[in-house]
Formats: sequence, structure tokens, C-alpha cells
Amino acid sequence: MNPRAKVERFLDNASRSRLMVYACVLGLIGLVLMSWSLFDQGWIPVMMAMSVGQGIGTLSFALFLVIVIIDLRKAEFRPSITPTPPKPEDD
Amino acid sequence: MHVSPLSWIALTCAIVAAVIMIYYLIYRPPLNGRVKLLMMVAVGVLPIMTAMIGNLEGLQATEHQAFCGSCHTMDMHIADANDPDSLSLSAIHSRTIKFGDKSCYVCHKDYGMFGYAMTKLGGMGHVYMFLSEYAWYDMEEALPKIHIARPFKNDNCMQCHSTTGRLWNDVADHNGLLEDLRTGTTSCASAGCHGYAHPFSKPDEETPSDAEAHSALPAPSPEGT
Repeated sequence: MNPRAKVERFLDNASRSRLMVYACVLGLIGLVLMSWSLFDQGWIPVMMAMSVGQGIGTLSFALFLVIVIIDLRKAEFRPSITPTPPKPEDD
Repeated sequence: MHVSPLSWIALTCAIVAAVIMIYYLIYRPPLNGRVKLLMMVAVGVLPIMTAMIGNLEGLQATEHQAFCGSCHTMDMHIADANDPDSLSLSAIHSRTIKFGDKSCYVCHKDYGMFGYAMTKLGGMGHVYMFLSEYAWYDMEEALPKIHIARPFKNDNCMQCHSTTGRLWNDVADHNGLLEDLRTGTTSCASAGCHGYAHPFSKPDEETPSDAEAHSALPAPSPEGT
């Protein structure tokens, strides 16, 4: 199975609520790391916030975007303007 | 511990985001349009604001002595810089308002267009060296091994001491070594001139006597030099 097919299969089968749970857990961890550096400005908290904390936060947001992509793939788009019937030709 | 108003804004964003995420984890509402919009704020907008303010505050924090001194191997450097009785170059400069709490950064930063980025890259090198080697040494073991990565540039001194002022040029040694000083061939912070910036860290090398250090003291103002 090629990578594209794997991704499509994942998007078709993934549970959105489970992905959101992962996003929330990762988001909370990222927020804790980012907030730590606001109070303790030693090298460990500052570097953790600007590397690991933001990396985890980005992953969390990426999971949310995956949920949006899943929804977009399943959405049925309908044209917002109904096509007007063709006018009868003038004689 | 000083927490700036910006930090409080970042913290507020983080708390609001955390409350929404915890709410979702506990109640698991169905992911309809409204919940997704709320979660976009909680997982995206608010954490991004926290991260941006955190970056701003974090980068500013890296300019302070407290950040440099948070590695134990810098304890003696910070103590000497803040010692009111010390006559080392670092202490003399740290006592002036233009250096003060940021004296490590002001002296050691790179100047120029990419100076800030290059300084931060250099700092990453320090972190690597600390984690890979110096973190495991105590101060006595580390002190003889710590050395500046590249020779200290006179350009950094010349940001304030322009080498063009009358007071500065009235000093015979300055006048005689003018080109060497401007090109960096002779270091301002060397044993024969103003002494090492951190003389305690050079136990095996020649250090200036107290008399020489005192003679280096009358530096009325950078503008006049």
C-alpha cells in the first residue's frame, strides 16, 4: 500500500472524538510547558517552552486540523445558488 | 520573580484554553460546528497567543544575567560581576546602568544585522556543551576547562569606547596601539591592558595587579572615550 493510500485509509477510519481527545491532552501538556517559562526564566524552562512545548502544541493543533480534513472529506457540498432554468429562446 | 503584564495575558490565554480542553475531556460533547469552533479557539488560537508571547518573553529573558546564571558553571562569573568590591572588567561594567542586569548579553552579543540570530545560535552551542560535558562537573572541575569559544572581539568594546574620543586618545598606550586595537590584533581585555573580564577564571595565566586594575577604573563615560 502506498503512503497516499495509507493516509486516505486513516482519514476514512479515524475516530474524530478520539483524535480530539489526543489533541486536548497534547495541548494541555504543551500549555503547561509554555506557561512554566513565564514564571521561571532559567534556561531549562525557557528552552523547553520554545522547543518541546511549542512542538507538542503544534502537534495538538495538527490533530485538530486532521479532524477538519476528515469532516471536509465527508461533507457533501451543495451549490449555494440554485441553477436558474434556461430561459426560453426569444422568437 | 517578576511577571510582566504580557505574561499575565499569555497565562490567561493558557488558562482559558485549558479550561475548554478539560471541559471537552470530561463531557465529550459531539463535534458539531459550534464545538469545533470552540475547540479551534482552545487548541489553536489561544495556545498560539501563549506561544507568541512566550517567545517574546523567553527571548527577552535570555538577555538577563539570571538566564546566564541558571547554569551552575556560571555561578562565579555572575557573583564576580555583581560583587561591588570587584575590580574586574565584568564587575566594573555591570555597575553601569547601560549594562546592569544584562551585562553578560551586552558584552558577549554579536553586533550587526544578523547579530541577534548569531548570538542565539552561539547560545545553542553553549547549551550543547553544557549538556554534553559541563553539566556533570562541579565548579572546581569546570572552571579551568571553561573558555570563551572565540577570542573576545574589541568591536564589542568599541560599541561604547569608539577609540576616537580625546580622553581615550590621550592615553599613550591607546594611541600607540590604535590600529592593533581597531583590528583586534591586541585585545583590550588582556593581561597587559585592562585585564581579563573574568580574572578568577584564569588562575594559571598572568592577571593584572590591583594597581593596574585601579588605573583602568577612571572611565568617566563611554561618550568621552
